[in-house]
Amino acid sequence: MALQGLEIRRSSASLRGGGTGLRKLPTVAKYIDTSTCIGCKACEVACQEWNDLPLAQTQQTGTYQTMPTMAANFWNLIQFREVETPEHGLSWLLRKDQCMHCDEPGCLEACPAPGAIVQYVNGIVDVDPERCIGCGLCETGCPFDVPRYAQNTNKMAKCTLCVDRVSVGLEPACIKACPTGCLQFGDKNSLLQVAEHRVQQLKEGGFAQAAVYDPKGVGGTGVITILKYGDHPEWYGLPTDPAVPTTVSLWKRVIHPIGFVAMAAAIFGAIGHFMAFGPKKPNDTSRQTGGEV
Amino acid sequence: MSEMRIPGATPVAGPTAIQVARDREDVVIGDEIVRHRLSSRVIHWVVAVFFFGALFTGMPIWSPVFGWMAHFFGGLSVCRWLHAWMGVAFAASVLVMFVLWAKEMVFEKTDHKFNIGEYLRLSEGDDPDVGKYNAGQKFFFWMVVATGILILLSGIVLWWPTSFGQGLRSISILVHDICFIGFFAAIVGHIYLGTAAEPGTFQSMTRGTVTRPWARLHHRRWYRDVTGDRS
Repeated sequence: MALQGLEIRRSSASLRGGGTGLRKLPTVAKYIDTSTCIGCKACEVACQEWNDLPLAQTQQTGTYQTMPTMAANFWNLIQFREVETPEHGLSWLLRKDQCMHCDEPGCLEACPAPGAIVQYVNGIVDVDPERCIGCGLCETGCPFDVPRYAQNTNKMAKCTLCVDRVSVGLEPACIKACPTGCLQFGDKNSLLQVAEHRVQQLKEGGFAQAAVYDPKGVGGTGVITILKYGDHPEWYGLPTDPAVPTTVSLWKRVIHPIGFVAMAAAIFGAIGHFMAFGPKKPNDTSRQTGGEV
Repeated sequence: MSEMRIPGATPVAGPTAIQVARDREDVVIGDEIVRHRLSSRVIHWVVAVFFFGALFTGMPIWSPVFGWMAHFFGGLSVCRWLHAWMGVAFAASVLVMFVLWAKEMVFEKTDHKFNIGEYLRLSEGDDPDVGKYNAGQKFFFWMVVATGILILLSGIVLWWPTSFGQGLRSISILVHDICFIGFFAAIVGHIYLGTAAEPGTFQSMTRGTVTRPWARLHHRRWYRDVTGDRS
């Protein structure tokens, strides 16, 4: 839900929205080190608990994974993948999947309902169900396949980065629950330094391609992920070069302006045409008596 | 009006134009010619009502600039629900209109004589051989049918968020948008031509009749065929 007291940086379908921009708040981020994740799923449980989400029906897919993908009432999913790597043979790759809290969120750009998706000044992207109209266009705009549409309520739901906890100085529930320290939370710039350090360690440890996943195509994300195989994010189920879909940008940035111009042109064109060419009406008597043109 | 009678004068025998226009068209009654029978007029306005219903519930979803329109329907969430059903009703009524009108709207040999430049200058020399509908009107009809199909199909894809792939949905957004913009511009032109630009036209869609001078000016061959007046 949209939170009181935290200024908004950007708001969906709001032409001149946003906050004052005067307050100084660091951009927060979630740090995920996939190389030290043990797949215990404590973060999944903590997420369900803190957000008052009911126990979700698990679905066996042949791995330890709770269900195939996230759901409207399940916002944090540890994904388990087995990948044959050229250098290290079979690798068991775990990744924590949730909203990436993009700096330039495709969901927010695609959303037609004013204020239904907001980005707070600290970078958290959140949904206000009261304003959500359940059109599902956020799903179309998201390059990470995150927003989930709840059939029964006609609303979209996703990870809030526990904005209600963060705004009062607590860390998100998933971070709090992690037993290995592979999840950290804080100022994004500081965490990027921690991440660089960890990547260096991994490189020294034999993972030459280790990298931080903070894709620039969406302006960077509020979730920075350390990948042992940083040159192959797709091995983790992450898009290699995510961006807001071209169609969504085309729609909002090209077709919308063209549409407004076309609509105005049609109206002013009709008015101008009337003034220039006047009405075409029968010329009374001369016409009735058969006068030729 | 033609129903008005001078007191004491002998009433003209036979039904009035408005009575005839209930089920017949292309007939001369006194000074009037019946152009659209009742069923044609009704389907026209049914299409129009659902068109504007879909338009005004869709525009606030299209852009927040038109957000105020949503208040007339009870908010944006109502619009999101109602827009789809308005669209279905629009498509269904266009289908009925198609069945009723398609035959008259088939392009014919003489349509190439239609001079769009002359027509847009509201000149009288646009087409000396124009029948009941000119090529522009026929084009508008087929545009409504074709765009109606595209906007319906793309609308169905957008209606149910979880039933279609995101690739198809993003294409549907573009198709739906382009159809809407085309429809908007076309409907402005349609309303303008049917009212201010060509006086006497609007009553053909209300009362169902036009005057002889109107018919002679705008639809020369139709006028000749209906009245037998070769002048």
